[in-house]
Amino acid sequence: MSAATAAVLARVPLFADLDEAELERVASVFKERRFAQGETVIQQGSGAAAFFVIDSGEAKVLVDGVEKRVMHAGEYFGEMALIDAGTRTATVKAATDLLCSGVTFWDFQPIVEANGVIGWKLLQSLIGIYRSEREAQGGSG
Amino acid sequence: MSGVVPLLDAADTSLFGSKAVGLGQALRDGLPVPPGVALAGDVVDAVAGRDEDAIRRVAEAVQGLQGSLAVRSSAVDEDGADASFAGQHLTLLNVRGADELTAAVSDVWWSANSDSAITYRQRVGLFTRPSVGVVVQVLVDPETAGVMFTQNPVTGADERVIEASLGLGEAVVAGRVIPDHYRVSRDGAVLERTAGRKDVAFRSLPEGGTFEEQVPADLVETLCLDDGELAELGRLATRCERVYGPARDIEWAIAGGTLYLLQCRAVTRAGT
Repeated sequence: MSAATAAVLARVPLFADLDEAELERVASVFKERRFAQGETVIQQGSGAAAFFVIDSGEAKVLVDGVEKRVMHAGEYFGEMALIDAGTRTATVKAATDLLCSGVTFWDFQPIVEANGVIGWKLLQSLIGIYRSEREAQGGSG
Repeated sequence: MSGVVPLLDAADTSLFGSKAVGLGQALRDGLPVPPGVALAGDVVDAVAGRDEDAIRRVAEAVQGLQGSLAVRSSAVDEDGADASFAGQHLTLLNVRGADELTAAVSDVWWSANSDSAITYRQRVGLFTRPSVGVVVQVLVDPETAGVMFTQNPVTGADERVIEASLGLGEAVVAGRVIPDHYRVSRDGAVLERTAGRKDVAFRSLPEGGTFEEQVPADLVETLCLDDGELAELGRLATRCERVYGPARDIEWAIAGGTLYLLQCRAVTRAGT
């Protein structure tokens, strides 16, 4: 997939510690996905299959049916799906015809399994995210 | 990449999925299936990843298919005894041109990797990477189409149950019309014919895709199959049972006066 995808991945906190080659390795398994205007991209409460980067178009983010913001090209959503295929915490709808690059849990997992360095860096990033959220809530860790 | 083959040669379910192999078997047994091509899961994966070699191979394979195309999923574990992915995995109709075919194959791949498909997989204990075969077939442009059960799926009675509507069969499958309803005995006697309410017909658009056409008022509640067509459907049911065994769920279409078999699978809910 494109260098543009790797550039977006560099801004994702989960991938913050990956170097350029590692980012390109992850970006290489992305696949293009198109959505028609009005189509639901991900549904709050649903199981999560993939992480997406927006290549072109706009998407609305809704939580409990309330619109929270609009995302544009270069923004991303759903990265935690790559770790646990857990539950979506928001709905994303295509506000215009939308072109994304996405990677599924299934395609991401073998990269991590085959590359301990990437796996270790992801663990460190996850801990960093966890600490930040703990601190934001007034906890310690 | 292991497979891009004429539908006639699709024989390995682990590569091409049950739909492709079922249609391949139907062709090998002389049933009237529209011609097509089967793509193995790894080819579909590569096309979705925009691999140029895979895209070229698929484009070459479909060169002999005339007119617009139907692109249907044929996931390896689709329509299994305990799990049906119907409704999650995609079918795209009236696909035209190489670029649109690539996009359609990619859409089918994503339909098997969508949130809803993954949620379903988790629920039925199939949390493994989906392998998605694809069937690319010539799209027939039918006058009438629908479904047929070779055994009554509600009562279990030994009779054919036929539901029919105007245009593409998706109007019936998607529940967009109340189809005409027929029951036909194994020896061909028509036991029941009840007109439905066929307000719309799905038709192909010249530029690709489909649209819903309003059906003329005088046809909405007029039976769309005559005795000759019912007899031919009965013969198709008998041939399908001979090839596949009893209790089949058949999708069919009549185009240009010719009856086509579009899909044949086991009835999974007989008697319920």
